[in-house]
Amino acid sequence: MVETKDRRDFVLKLGIGAGITALGAQAVASLRSLVPNVSYDSPTTVKVGPPNDFPDGMKFLPDERLFVFRDGKTFHAISAVCTHLGCTVRAEALSQVQTQGVEGKSLRMTHRFLCPCHGSKYKGDGSNESGPAPSPLAWYHLSLASDDGQLVVDLAKPVGHDFRLTLA
Amino acid sequence: MEQRTNSPYPKIDRPILAAIGLLLVVSTVLFAWSDRRHDWRYYQFEFKKRVAEKYGAEKAHTVPVGLDQIWAGDLRRADRCVVCHQATLWKGFETAEHPYRTHPPEPLKAHPIQKFGCTACHGGQGFAVDADKAHGPTPFWEEPVLSGSLGEAYSLAENKKALMQMNCNVCHRYDRETKGAEAINRAKNLVLEKGCRACHVINGRGGTIGPDLTFVGDKAAEQYDMTRLSGQKTSFAWHVAHLKDPKALVPETVMPNFSFGTKDSQALAMLVMSWRKAPVPADFRPGTPRTDPQTPEEVIEEQKMKTGPGAWFVKTGCFVCHSVSSLGVKSAAQIGPDLALAVEDTQSRFGRTVDDFFMNPTGTMAVVLSRQIILSPEEKKVAIEKLREAFREHQKQKASQASATSATSANAPKH
Amino acid sequence: MSAPKSAPGVHPKPFWSFRPTSDREAGDAVVSNFVLHWFPAKVYKPSLDWNYSFWLGTVSAALFFLLILSGLPLLVLYVPSVERAYGSVKDIEYVVTFGTWIRAVHRISAHLMVAVVFLHLVRVFLTGAYKNGVGRGQMREWNWVMGVAMLLLTLFLSFTGYLLPWDQLAYWAVTVGTNIASAVPLIGPKMRELLIGGRTIEQATLIRFYALHIVFLPVALGALFVYHMWRIRKDGGLARSDGEVLLPAAQEVPPGRTKTYSLLGVARGTSPTIRTRSLEAPELSVNSVTDLTRRIAIVVLGTIAVVSILSVFIASPLEEAANALVTPNPAKAPWYFLWLQEIVTDTTVRIGSFTINGAFLGGVILPGLLIGLLTVWPWLDRSPASAAGAWFHGSRKKQNAVFLLLVLVVVLFTVVGTFMRGPYWHFFWPWQAWPELPTRI
Repeated sequence: MVETKDRRDFVLKLGIGAGITALGAQAVASLRSLVPNVSYDSPTTVKVGPPNDFPDGMKFLPDERLFVFRDGKTFHAISAVCTHLGCTVRAEALSQVQTQGVEGKSLRMTHRFLCPCHGSKYKGDGSNESGPAPSPLAWYHLSLASDDGQLVVDLAKPVGHDFRLTLA
Repeated sequence: MEQRTNSPYPKIDRPILAAIGLLLVVSTVLFAWSDRRHDWRYYQFEFKKRVAEKYGAEKAHTVPVGLDQIWAGDLRRADRCVVCHQATLWKGFETAEHPYRTHPPEPLKAHPIQKFGCTACHGGQGFAVDADKAHGPTPFWEEPVLSGSLGEAYSLAENKKALMQMNCNVCHRYDRETKGAEAINRAKNLVLEKGCRACHVINGRGGTIGPDLTFVGDKAAEQYDMTRLSGQKTSFAWHVAHLKDPKALVPETVMPNFSFGTKDSQALAMLVMSWRKAPVPADFRPGTPRTDPQTPEEVIEEQKMKTGPGAWFVKTGCFVCHSVSSLGVKSAAQIGPDLALAVEDTQSRFGRTVDDFFMNPTGTMAVVLSRQIILSPEEKKVAIEKLREAFREHQKQKASQASATSATSANAPKH
Repeated sequence: MSAPKSAPGVHPKPFWSFRPTSDREAGDAVVSNFVLHWFPAKVYKPSLDWNYSFWLGTVSAALFFLLILSGLPLLVLYVPSVERAYGSVKDIEYVVTFGTWIRAVHRISAHLMVAVVFLHLVRVFLTGAYKNGVGRGQMREWNWVMGVAMLLLTLFLSFTGYLLPWDQLAYWAVTVGTNIASAVPLIGPKMRELLIGGRTIEQATLIRFYALHIVFLPVALGALFVYHMWRIRKDGGLARSDGEVLLPAAQEVPPGRTKTYSLLGVARGTSPTIRTRSLEAPELSVNSVTDLTRRIAIVVLGTIAVVSILSVFIASPLEEAANALVTPNPAKAPWYFLWLQEIVTDTTVRIGSFTINGAFLGGVILPGLLIGLLTVWPWLDRSPASAAGAWFHGSRKKQNAVFLLLVLVVVLFTVVGTFMRGPYWHFFWPWQAWPELPTRI
């Protein structure tokens, strides 16, 4: 008798527990649908044109929010996205070109960067100078496309400030 | 009678509630009035009166009343200009003042108003129905009506209404010449004449010393450094001033001063500002293929140069700026001196041999040789050899010419 | 009157009366009217004073009501797509009859609601109204927590509405706002991605904000609002009435009739003997109909009238269409977040080579701390029960001072951020002209 009662009790609890778990799982399942699996964002690896299309000095690519710098045959790319809250910084030409060692490599700096949102300032190598910006502007990896030799930037691959792409 | 607790606030509350009721009535009247006060109601009333005077009451009855728009679906523009400018397609008001004036019919033949709307050509805010907001300049609308008064504000040379041609060229950018757009045509000729492509990519073709100008009209005003610009702080004003004297705005620039006059600078600034990535369907753009094509003669000439004795100068890119007269290479731009004389030139201008100058160049050539035309030491040796060859050829030609001229006593050649 | 008088809730007349001639009729009006049954039959007279509560809660509710009403036509007129959103707002502004006014009503109500809900919170704090008095089963502290949640919901509602016009103001305010969210360690970037449905603010973001703005958040706020009102009834009305119960002039009330209209509605049977001053003593309480209802009418209709008139004269801004490639200068968050933006600008801390992002410190830690403290404050407040419902009670001097100081800082930073920050977030006095910003032509 006692056993039967216990068993009934157990089955009842099991039933209720299973029901609640199932409901919970369904709730989670319907919430999971809101987490995007694919993205309509633009791809992170972008061909930005043949290297010889880039003038010496700086070229701003608004679509990629990127500054591409050229010094003769060497290239590097600095992000225009402020590290503070993501506004687009503006490049301001320096009155005098500075050459300075950055992470052991000399760098010709032609510009500095100003953020319109909260007034952060960055030096020509992207390092944060003043304002609320917590870290330097990102540098991105540059390479040459194997098929047509275009310059390729990888916006998902930040690199150190000693990165240079040198053409052969 | 049952007990009734006395209300503690009867004396104050009731009049307050009554006052609030009145306030509600007032607010209703106010917002009804605010919707009625738009100017377009007056303009429509006035136009109807004018039609009645001219064509009789029956005709006046057909004048539409109320808000209206032209939806140019292909261009995604909703233009409500016709709410006030009702006479646009009426005959007989050619000389009336705005907004009661008939639109000149000629441009509308190629640009039917149902397909193009108004603002695609004239600028302005098509959404708005009040004159100040529709015409601008108004905050938060970057395209004011490109009218004569705006041209006046920029003190345009000659035709004050020329600013509108900027919008013509958004579609007509690949035309060599566009009817009615004199300023733009003038500027396009200047681009060919002065060889802007020597340094700038325009429509996908050109050099890379200066920035790519193909879509420079879209560059945001915030991206210009206007600290050295006096007068209006606008992208257009910046371009006018920069074309007049590049170094005055950007001291470190290598762009030469072409000594453009006011008229040329303004025309070129209009052309540059018209180079926009506007969302225009392909069939709105005349000129095929959709590039800036070279004429067949130009192609043949370039081919000839490529296979002739001066082929090396063409292949390397020197011919963009320099002619090499002795080897039959002719530069379209002719920004630099004739390379046939380089051996002599470096001596007379810099006091250096051509070898020395080429290995350690100064000025513009320093920029070009370090950035655009990058040569290995072996290639440089070849270059110097080629320059000497050109000079030898030049002297040979001069000698034969001299003997020829002395024989015929004709005009002596310049060199 | 032929209908049975004794049955509770049975109305002697076919229709209730807004102008009752007796206490019984006044009570009946409350019991038999669907809208009025929210209210007690009788209310404590001083609770109705203009200068106790300033009726800020009622004003908030009226504004919420107005927002729902003015939102209904906008719901149909607005198109939540990145191609059409900006144009549809331009249409509302220029070519929809009364569109300008409807949009202005919606916008001004939203701004006012943020301000009034905040003031309501300040009032409740300063009067110690989250404190329990002598009543049984009072849980005023939970109603306070509910209130804090409703303030946050109000802010979030306003913020989601901010993006919808899809202009530069909207786009960059949301860029800045969501980047603050992503400064939360570990889950931040994921949270931002879930909120905006991708890495950049795009169509997915617009539709998410739209759904939040028109369904999820208003429903949540409405549900909390209903519960908030119910709790006020359960807790025995405004905190002020508790103070009165504690007054020494207690008198014994003998066991009464079998049916009474009490503060808590209809009670049958014998009421207990209480040794306090009765709340139902004629000089202390009034009938809800019409003394409470008339004042509610004054406040609600007054709010509507004021908003309606303001909406005729204050134009709603609409900047250029959103452009991800151009950041306006200065880029500002909505004014009620500007104190945060001000903090975000000032709080990047450098210790040697180690930097803490201002967005994390000022945008997450500091507001998180403030909200957390607000939430748990009723349990930290050790003042006596007599401090409930009294303005600036002597036993709460210190906490009131600290609270007011924080309020002052928030208000000050908001004012600085709104009126004194120009291009590049440089400081400008109100009488100083901003440098001319460049335009196209």
